[in-house]
Amino acid sequence: MKPWQASILAAMSLAAPAVGYAQAPKPATGSLTIAFAAEATNMDPAKYAAGVDQYFFGQIYEQLVRPSPELKKINWLAESWELKADGGKPWLDIHIRKDVKFHTGDPLTSADFAFAYDRLRDNKISRWTHLQAAVEAFEIVDDHHFRIRFKHGDGSYIADNLQLWAMSKAYFEKVGDEEFGKHPVGTGPWKFVSRAIKEELRLEAFDDYWHPTARPGVKNLIVKIIPEDLTRVAAFKTGAVDWMDAVPPSMVEEFKKMPGVTTASFVAPNNLYVAMDAIGEKSPMKDVRVRQAVAHAIDVDAIIKSVLFNQGERYVQVGRGSTGYDPDLKPYPYDPRKARDLLKQAGYPSGFEVPCYNLTSPREPYIKEVGEAMFAYLISVGIRCKVQGQEYGAWITFGRRDRQGHIDGFYSNMWGHGSPGDPGTPWAGHVHTYVPGAGWGITSVHSDPELDVMIEELKQTMDQDKRDALIRRIARVKHERVAGGFPTYRPVVTFAWRDKVTFVGWPLPGFWRNMQQIGLKQ
Amino acid sequence: MSGFLIRRLAQGVISIVGASIVIFLISRLSGDPILILLPNDASPALIEDTRRNLGLDQPLWRQYLIFAQNALAGDFGRSYRWQMPALRLILDRLPATIELALCGLVFSVLIAVPIGVLSAVHRGGWIDRVGRIFAMLGQAMPAFWVGLLLILVFAIHLNWLPAFGHGGVSHVILPAIALGWYPVAAQTRIVRSAMLDVLDSDHIRLSRALGTPEHLIVWKYALRNAAIPLLTMLGVYFAAMLGGAFVVETIFAWPGVGRTVVEAVFSRDFPVVQAGVLFTSILFVISNLLVDLSYGIVDPRIRDAR
Repeated sequence: MKPWQASILAAMSLAAPAVGYAQAPKPATGSLTIAFAAEATNMDPAKYAAGVDQYFFGQIYEQLVRPSPELKKINWLAESWELKADGGKPWLDIHIRKDVKFHTGDPLTSADFAFAYDRLRDNKISRWTHLQAAVEAFEIVDDHHFRIRFKHGDGSYIADNLQLWAMSKAYFEKVGDEEFGKHPVGTGPWKFVSRAIKEELRLEAFDDYWHPTARPGVKNLIVKIIPEDLTRVAAFKTGAVDWMDAVPPSMVEEFKKMPGVTTASFVAPNNLYVAMDAIGEKSPMKDVRVRQAVAHAIDVDAIIKSVLFNQGERYVQVGRGSTGYDPDLKPYPYDPRKARDLLKQAGYPSGFEVPCYNLTSPREPYIKEVGEAMFAYLISVGIRCKVQGQEYGAWITFGRRDRQGHIDGFYSNMWGHGSPGDPGTPWAGHVHTYVPGAGWGITSVHSDPELDVMIEELKQTMDQDKRDALIRRIARVKHERVAGGFPTYRPVVTFAWRDKVTFVGWPLPGFWRNMQQIGLKQ
Repeated sequence: MSGFLIRRLAQGVISIVGASIVIFLISRLSGDPILILLPNDASPALIEDTRRNLGLDQPLWRQYLIFAQNALAGDFGRSYRWQMPALRLILDRLPATIELALCGLVFSVLIAVPIGVLSAVHRGGWIDRVGRIFAMLGQAMPAFWVGLLLILVFAIHLNWLPAFGHGGVSHVILPAIALGWYPVAAQTRIVRSAMLDVLDSDHIRLSRALGTPEHLIVWKYALRNAAIPLLTMLGVYFAAMLGGAFVVETIFAWPGVGRTVVEAVFSRDFPVVQAGVLFTSILFVISNLLVDLSYGIVDPRIRDAR
């Protein structure tokens, strides 16, 4: 065994939940109504299209590995796993827990993961087949032991929680594709009861759930869908719901002072940044000094405080808790004088005029206002933004190199690293040079051969220690050269619940909206 | 009459076909749904396969013909996002929207008719002025603002009515007021001016001369005649409420068609947009047809003139 294999094994064997309890947990009782701001469109983990879909199916389905509330990666359905290599080709040796049942009562076996793998790699079913592209073969050893063999290293496979969701093969064969999506059955803490689109989801605690402590403390959970902020607040204030998603940023302080109410804020998986054209023939941002001027010109902390009501967390290249997070990497200080000096040194003593594209759809709270503030800061140092608004549908196409060529100027952009997560895939998309048809730099307006080499190495690096070190190195270079845009903040979401409710936020699945541990106080 | 009916039906069919072409083209002009459906790092092969699976690799004219052919058979395709038949998604939500629009309409009529009548009876007096100001407020305040105000007062402060959701009678009151207040001003004007005409007519003067009590003259004899213009417009108001309910549906978390279609527009879910808009168009055409026919029924002179 190579040292890196041993380190992976050691790391992954940590936090597996204790097995064998003296006493089975008492079945939960009571009902609780909560409010989400958005709803899933799809409840089949192989077919889901957007992160919001995890809000629903993430209550029902589980993965092999997941991050804990403390942002540590822990084994979940995997009892242990090990990264090995044969003839230079890596493979994962995975043992799954033996005490896990589906909501139908069927035991979880390796065949269920093989079935999940088959569905996830089928272009006719899944929108995530590229995540299985490096897998060469899925081998079942026995009911609780299987192997995933790779054609080559796939750095994001481990980073993204071993990708696979536990899906019941027996249930699918019994009910077929349509019913499988409409009436989901997983191994998770909640059983599906019913769903009324645009209204509510009803769930029931799974009494035979395998985890002794991280489980619901209430029998019935009704999830109401209330997209309008103030209506959701009204529903909470009138007592119609006892837990609410996404307290409007401007009301967070009011909620914190509300008697009998607890609030908690969590960092969302999205990483926002100001993209800038660093490859255009005549683009001023080709010059690193101009990019550094941009980094000094924008007072991100002030924007977080004043525009976002502190509902944002500044990040420098990699979000807190994610692989390769480096607490020693400090953000550029706000220094408009230095920004003007850098512009002068770059040959722009009077600044320059440039298009600035602003996302106007509320993809994240106040994103339009944040963009306006950032572009105003640029104007104040002489970068005269001609601001143009962009609706979400146009914006998502706009950044694509395969659709739009390359965009000039600045634009507000984002790419989730996960929460926690790993920047490998995002960097391959917006920092690496664009290579048509090869998957590199799909939204990139940057080109740096040195960074390209490192990002390509990262793509193949599965060893988590090596990966961590490599990400830190890339982050330093990226930071120094303001490459692939200027990272600004990660949105923060605040939940509120009444004191009679107990709630522990789990980051995934569902981006902190996983009701793994919600209940009523005894 | 039958010739008139056939003519109007033919015009209705042409309008629906026209609407289907316009919505088909406009939805596609808004961009490529694949980029919203698939993650940024999706492989080119996956992008092309998905495009092919959704039929978006075909020329636009062929896509329309396939859509039209299937639509005639009641198949509007599967929602890209919901992965269920688009028509089912719309039809499941339609009763809630119809319920909201009907309640909004009833509210607007219940408010507009008395105000219109009293304004006409007390023409130029304080009742006339206050009534018209109240009615005008509805047009001056957008539905989302009225909705939020109603929630603030009746749900949060007074705790009389629920702030959201679809259920019993109590759930529909606030959304119906938010939706129905806007047309109150127009309906009040219609009733008021019709009442003024009727109250000046010979048969009303004769009734007064015969000593008929004033309340009977106003609320029975005059209103019956004055209501004709309003009645014939109700179909149009109802159709407009069906189409314009999405703001109120969003505010009150009302599970209707409007909200579903607007969200589908943002996610470029073409089948849902097409099914939703086409269904609303059909309801609009039917409403207008009923309005036209009702003219003939309530006033034989119009029918005979045709």
